[in-house]
This record gives sequence, C-alpha cells and structure tokens, in this order.
Amino acid sequence: MFKHILFATSATEACDHAARVAFNLAREFGSDLTVFHVMGIPTRGFSRTMVDVRTREKVEPDEEYSAWVCEEIKTHYSRELEKVPGCDVCVAVGYPHREILRQAREKRPDLIVMGGTTGSDEDSPYRKILPGSTMLRVARAAPCPVMVVARPAASFWGGISSIVFGTDFSKASDAAFDYARELSAFVKGELHVFHAVDIQKEGIFLAQDMVDARLREAVNRMRGRYGSRMEGVDNWSVDAWEGFPPVEIVKYAREKHADAIVMAHHTRTETEEETRGVTLGSVLEQVIMRASCPVISVNRHRKTG
Amino acid sequence: MKKILVIDDDPAIVAYLTSLFSDNGYEVVDAADAKEGLEAARAHKPDLITLDLEMPGEWGPRFYRKMSQDPELKNTPVIVISGLSGSQYSISKAAASVSKPFDREKLLGIVKDLLKE
Repeated sequence: MFKHILFATSATEACDHAARVAFNLAREFGSDLTVFHVMGIPTRGFSRTMVDVRTREKVEPDEEYSAWVCEEIKTHYSRELEKVPGCDVCVAVGYPHREILRQAREKRPDLIVMGGTTGSDEDSPYRKILPGSTMLRVARAAPCPVMVVARPAASFWGGISSIVFGTDFSKASDAAFDYARELSAFVKGELHVFHAVDIQKEGIFLAQDMVDARLREAVNRMRGRYGSRMEGVDNWSVDAWEGFPPVEIVKYAREKHADAIVMAHHTRTETEEETRGVTLGSVLEQVIMRASCPVISVNRHRKTG
Repeated sequence: MKKILVIDDDPAIVAYLTSLFSDNGYEVVDAADAKEGLEAARAHKPDLITLDLEMPGEWGPRFYRKMSQDPELKNTPVIVISGLSGSQYSISKAAASVSKPFDREKLLGIVKDLLKE
C-alpha cells in the first residue's frame, strides 16, 4: 500500500513535520521514498534564469546548481536520511504544483506527502493562494492520495492505527472510504466513520428537532452504506455530530486520537446540485489547516494490481 | 503517599526521575515501553504518569489512547517528557509537556501542582 512515497517539499521549516511523517512512514513500511523539491520558477516563459524559492536569488539552474541544491536538501534532512538511506532526492524547475504532478505521473507513487504553507512569506510560490495553493492544486489532480501535514501537531507520533473517515455521502466519498478501509485493514487499526451535520443553512440555524432527525438519518445511512463493506476491519464505528463541519471533524478526530483523517477531494455532492463547480471542498481545506493529524485527500478510486 | 509511574525507554532518565521523585516524597514505579506501562498503570493505579514519546514498539501517544479508553485510568494526569520537536502538540489532553533536557525544579513544580491535595 505504501510501496513508493513521494515527499514534495519546499525544503524549509514549513515542511519539517511533513518530512518526519514521510520518512517515518517509509521506514515503518519499507517504502521507496523520493524527496522532491521544485527549486524555482523561470523568470519568464522559457527563460534560462529562475528565482530560487529559498534564497530569492536569480540563478541559472544548470546541472551544477541542481547538484548543489540536492546536496543542501540532503544536509537539511541528514537526520531523517539516516532512517531511510536508499531514498532518492531530486529537484526540478517550474511551477511547484505542475512539477509535483509531473513527478507523480512519472514515478507513480502510492502516496504523496506534502507540508503546510510557508507561512507569512508573501513572495513564496508555495504560499497559500486562494482559490488554489500548491497543495490544493496537487490534491485536485493527483493520481494517488495526497497526505497533507499542515501543522506541527499533525506530525508523526508513532504511526497510523486510528483512522477517521469523514463522509458527505458523495460518490467521491465512496472512493475515500475504500481507501480508508484498505488503510485500516493494512495497519490493522481502528476505522471511525463520521458525518458532520451543518447546523446552518444560508445563515439560518436549523431547529434542533431537524438537526436531531438529520443526525439519526446520517448514522443509519453510514451503517447502511459502509457497514457491509468493512472487510478486514475488526474495530470500526459510526458517529454523527452537529455543528460547523470542518471543526466537528477535527474535534472528532481529536476525540478518537486519530493518526489520520481520510476525506474525499471532490467538486460536488450527489444530493446538492447547487454545489456543482465548487473547487476542492472548503470543508477539506479547513480540516487540513486545523487537524491535529495528517489529512489524506482522495480524489479517485485506487487502481489495484 | 502519592504514586508516580515513569514510562521511558532510557534507563538513565528513569533512574534520574525515580531519584528525583523519591527524594521528594513520592512512590515511583517505572516501565520501559508502552505495553509495560499500560500493565503497570493497571496494576498500580498511579496518581500521575510521566510519559516519553518515542519508544521501541508503540509510542507514547498510543499508550495514551489505550489508557484513556480505560475508565479507571482515563483521568490520570500525564506529563509528556520528550526530546522530540513539537512534543507539546503530541497529546492534546496531556496535563503538561516538558522538553528534554529539562529543569528539575520546573518539573517538580508541575508535579507538585498536579498532585496537591
């Protein structure tokens, strides 16, 4: 399941906790690990000059410069590299999301691991730019699940054994469920299926009777939809809470001491046509930014074999 | 006498904490990993637990998850003592988090505060 992990990094402090997750997962599962860094963006279309994302200097990214950056990355991750000695370090020039996706198409990893934003650094091409940061753009088009470690709290604390799967009952969520179930079976862990009922609609709070009815309906729906598909998972549960969905998911994950949250990346739900066209769910984005554990975004069914 | 369970895979840290707590009037039991720690916690019902994060086998957070599922242990305060960066984020419900190397007086202050009658 984790034969090959692609760790896409800005090689800055913002990615240090993602690095800890990527390297420890690779060590735990004996995975091949590729550490991939996009050095910079060409100053113009086909320019030979680029602005280095870390130093902000205009440089010519020839072989010598690339080798120097690779060495810098190896130095930055020297402690982690001791854990995974065979790991591959490579660099590229271009827009980070495009190059990461190109790398993912070429290397066909089972998982892409990414860090958070580079914080207040306004000039960085890695910074969060609405409507799509590098991470969101990669998550939307990636050929495999994307794990995001956005906060130090989401770092590696001993492995994955408790997984929360957040569902909105969409078709995209079915793909995410399959991945969450497979992951839970693989690590012989717990799987907690969760739905958050939004208590607001168009700025108006729903009556509690209606919220209670929706909670009951959600629990029954989760049991019916996922309960019979729990092959390989002995310890699972379903729960529904009401509130502001992303915060409820984060709180629920904390309550379950989750090591990972799995959610779908999708553009619309099957029941709410009016949400058609919404880019990477704002719920998922909020969960990523707030979660105390890594969040895995799944955008399609996993190819097997 | 209040009882403290020290869970750490480093014998030097265990010896240091044991003498520190014993000298200050606490009874101390210890465990070298999460599994042993859970057995010791169930057997001794400590009033406080100090917990390392990175240990062979299961890490500290997994010990905490199992401990918090035990009705007799779930309210026992836990102090995380670790050298890992960001360790203050590892267990959100921990009573305190102390980074190695730690100040003995500061740690004793936290322990006394948590165990006061």
